[in-house]
Amino acid sequence: MIISTTWLAEYVRWEAPVEELVRRLLMSGLNHEATWPVGADTAIDIEVTSNRPDCLGHVGVAREVAVLFDRPLHIPAPRPLEANVPAAAAIAVEIVDPDVCPRYTARVIRGVRVGPSPAWLAERLRTIGIEPVNNVVDVTNYVMMECGQPLHAFDLAKVRGGRIIVRRAREGETFRAINHKDYSLTSGMAVIADAEGPVALAGVMGGAESEIAADTVEVLLESAQFAPLVVRAAARGLVLMSASSYRFERGPDPAAVEWASRRAAALIQELAGGEVLAGGVEAGAIAGGRATIDLRAARVEEVLGVPVAVGRQAEILTGLGFVKEAACSERCRWQAPSWRRDVTREIDLVEEIARIEGYDSIPEDRPIHAKPVEQSARERTIRVAGEVLVAAGLCEAMTRSVVSEAFEATASPWTTLPPRRVAPALVRGADRLRRSLLPSLLEASGHNRAVGAPHGDLFEVARAYLDRGGNAAGGSPLEEPLLVSLVVGGPYAKAKGLAEGVIGRLGGVVEFRRRAFDLFTPGRAAEIVLERAGAEPVRVGVVGEVSDRVLSRFGLEGPVSAAELRLDLLEISGSQPRKLVPPSEFPAVQRDLNFVVDQGLLWADVERAIRSAPGADTLLEEITLEQVWEDAQRLGAGKKSLVVGLRFRSQTGTISSDESKRLVEAIVASCGHSCKAILRG
Amino acid sequence: MGTVSLESFRADVERLRAEAVAALVVAGDDAELEQARIEFAGAKSGRLKGIQKLLGGLDGADRPEAGRLFNEAKGAITAALDAAQARLAGASAEAAAIDVTLPGLPFRHGHVHPITQTIRRVQEIMARLGFESVDGPEVEDQWHNFEALAIGAEHPARDPLDNFYLAVAQGTDPLLLRSQTSTVQIRVMEQRKPPLRIVSLGRVYRPDTADATHYPMFHQVEGLLVEPGATMADLKGVLRFLASSFLGGDVHVRFRPSFFPFTEPSVEFDMEWGGRWVEMGGAGMVDPAVLAAVGYDPAEVSGFAFGLGVERIAARRYGVADIRDFYRNDVRFLQQF
Repeated sequence: MIISTTWLAEYVRWEAPVEELVRRLLMSGLNHEATWPVGADTAIDIEVTSNRPDCLGHVGVAREVAVLFDRPLHIPAPRPLEANVPAAAAIAVEIVDPDVCPRYTARVIRGVRVGPSPAWLAERLRTIGIEPVNNVVDVTNYVMMECGQPLHAFDLAKVRGGRIIVRRAREGETFRAINHKDYSLTSGMAVIADAEGPVALAGVMGGAESEIAADTVEVLLESAQFAPLVVRAAARGLVLMSASSYRFERGPDPAAVEWASRRAAALIQELAGGEVLAGGVEAGAIAGGRATIDLRAARVEEVLGVPVAVGRQAEILTGLGFVKEAACSERCRWQAPSWRRDVTREIDLVEEIARIEGYDSIPEDRPIHAKPVEQSARERTIRVAGEVLVAAGLCEAMTRSVVSEAFEATASPWTTLPPRRVAPALVRGADRLRRSLLPSLLEASGHNRAVGAPHGDLFEVARAYLDRGGNAAGGSPLEEPLLVSLVVGGPYAKAKGLAEGVIGRLGGVVEFRRRAFDLFTPGRAAEIVLERAGAEPVRVGVVGEVSDRVLSRFGLEGPVSAAELRLDLLEISGSQPRKLVPPSEFPAVQRDLNFVVDQGLLWADVERAIRSAPGADTLLEEITLEQVWEDAQRLGAGKKSLVVGLRFRSQTGTISSDESKRLVEAIVASCGHSCKAILRG
Repeated sequence: MGTVSLESFRADVERLRAEAVAALVVAGDDAELEQARIEFAGAKSGRLKGIQKLLGGLDGADRPEAGRLFNEAKGAITAALDAAQARLAGASAEAAAIDVTLPGLPFRHGHVHPITQTIRRVQEIMARLGFESVDGPEVEDQWHNFEALAIGAEHPARDPLDNFYLAVAQGTDPLLLRSQTSTVQIRVMEQRKPPLRIVSLGRVYRPDTADATHYPMFHQVEGLLVEPGATMADLKGVLRFLASSFLGGDVHVRFRPSFFPFTEPSVEFDMEWGGRWVEMGGAGMVDPAVLAAVGYDPAEVSGFAFGLGVERIAARRYGVADIRDFYRNDVRFLQQF
């Protein structure tokens, strides 16, 4: 809303520099955007919040100024000189759909001479950015910018059949607006029609056919109330925002319908001559009553934390147009003015008092008592996972939650159901809620390669969005698992090591099982399965080497490996920190064993066999795989050699050579039994 | 009576000590050093040994003092000998010296995203006041995103063009990507009784065309306190604590009236940053209708809430001119934080 200070001064004299005016308005709720000179006038652009349509006109802003500077407010009382002929003799008005238009009034001015507006009017309109058109149209704009009530002037001679019909538009009905563009309407919009068809799009814009022209002699002046949703549907649906639609969407003062009509009729008469027919032709009834609100004086301090004297409370409310119903002090009943339909409750009155009194009166050093707080398990989980990956040299990325169809063409490790769609698209072409972070991270990694960044090793912690299918059971129809995903340059073992690092820090015990996934090279991918006490094992992750096809798609060069983990399922349980297991005071014994096994045997099976040997649970400290080699001549076809490093250590004493010998024998036996492993030389 | 007086012993010891240290300090190579060592500290006929023999000739009463003098001198000579040896060893190691300015062995450390760092900073500050971090779903229903927040069916904020609505089957309730994290506050209030101090944080979504200051996906941090007798003065105090802790120093906070459906009174809050007022976010007292919607009694408790746009404060904090840079994931950008 742009304000002309010259215009504003017609209603109130604040007697302070513009900077002070702007500051006081800013601190009472009308945010300042900019100030600039226009000739001798000054334009001030203020931001009006959607709850304050009263400030979408100069009078409303003047009322704020009057209260802030404690000055009287002068509002003109328009009295057009009316002829004897009643307006009803010239026009009939009918509201067919009262839900779209509760109230419609029409006045008629005959014998006008359309011409340019006088300088004072043209200049004020120019200051606020409205180009003058002619004296009749300018008056309707002027009065709208004065009181916030939009008006429309028709050339009465072009209104066919002498009738105004307010109704919903018909589906597909067409209309040519003042901008000379044609619009196809829907039943969510409303029109002003004459006997033959639409002459205005209700609350948004007049029609080209009936616009005021140089030869217009009879003016039909519309002042009405339109339903906000209907006006919004038209303005948005047709992308036809106007100063009028902007105000109707927010709901102007209902009492201004009548005032604006009289004000505009009087001004047209003054500037364009003619005679105003007696009275208005009215249909419907004003919607929106005045609220009656009880205010406890003590409530103000209860909310603000500082007192405001009872007398000052009353002064502020009275200045804003609220009317006290009877003498009172501690508890008063107030009637809200018609233009403040946003004020309906005691708390609303408290806010009015607070904003005028000024929030600077509230101290900023009131102490607040401390309260213990605990970091949630989820929070700790996210931090621990991030710490591991940052320590490993990865950078945290943030990618979009909504992705393109191409990204979501990749199967998700987490669901077989398709991705959900949103409208509008987040960015062009991205309208799928992602079910995995991996395609986004691979793209980001590819971007780093393309721009020659030092590396493209990235991780991200974010949610995926999975359709629950029919299994919502009263909860959300979507599941949102929290994932940590990572992409690193290097073979399968690189991503696996990082996944193991994260899972290990979170205290999870998992198994890796070979399994094919869309993004990964066949045979070089695994699902990660979590063992759970008293429950079925569950998939908590995938890891693999990114396939050549995917690498080339994202401009990456292999080997690149990636993993995605379900942090929601790996969440650190309980709030107790880990308890120390004291490092043993006794020396370790190192033994290397060289097993020959079948080529297809999994390391996990060897490891399990070693750990299950009698005595291993207390004495085996660590297993390492030192070397794997194959040599058909020396080992035989289909065989491989595994050099396994074993470290034995006891918590209770030095391991004797007998003890370590027995343990080695037990391990060899266990591996021989479960894995057909043969000890080599 | 002894044959040696304490005074003459003291003089001998002092002289020996001075001569020995002087000789050791100037020893230029291993041969000179060895010569000095034999002369002064030689096990058989070193001069130290000679002096030691004199101890026997002292009067019994003087012996402890004489012993102390002797030990002191012996310690000083030994130390000078060690120092000389170390000095000569170092000189001979010169040939094995390295260029100490050569690069160290590189290791790569990772970086936490600046948005995450900013969120954590706010979380940590709020935790000092007992605000617990909470999280909730990003896909929301109309109740949590609008109705419970007193955003009625006619409110423009619900317009399909202003939200990311999910495609849903006919007859099922509309769902959308949350447009604010206040949804989480509603969910927490529905489940818990006051008193309550929480910070909700996470991604939110609003259809804005991406430019230097807008992105359709961004992060919010919102605080909520519900307790008997909470006032706007408490709100201002908490925000000043946050501002001073976040920005450092004694930072002032200013309220300007504003409008949000779920708070009344509603304000914008500014902080003094770099000598001027900077708009930080919105705040206000929780609207009684919101308290009632979650089953709290507005006569018993009151509350305040505030929200911050993380990208905006992170951009200002780190001097990022274009917030889209936060989502480009360029390692050259990420590794600066």
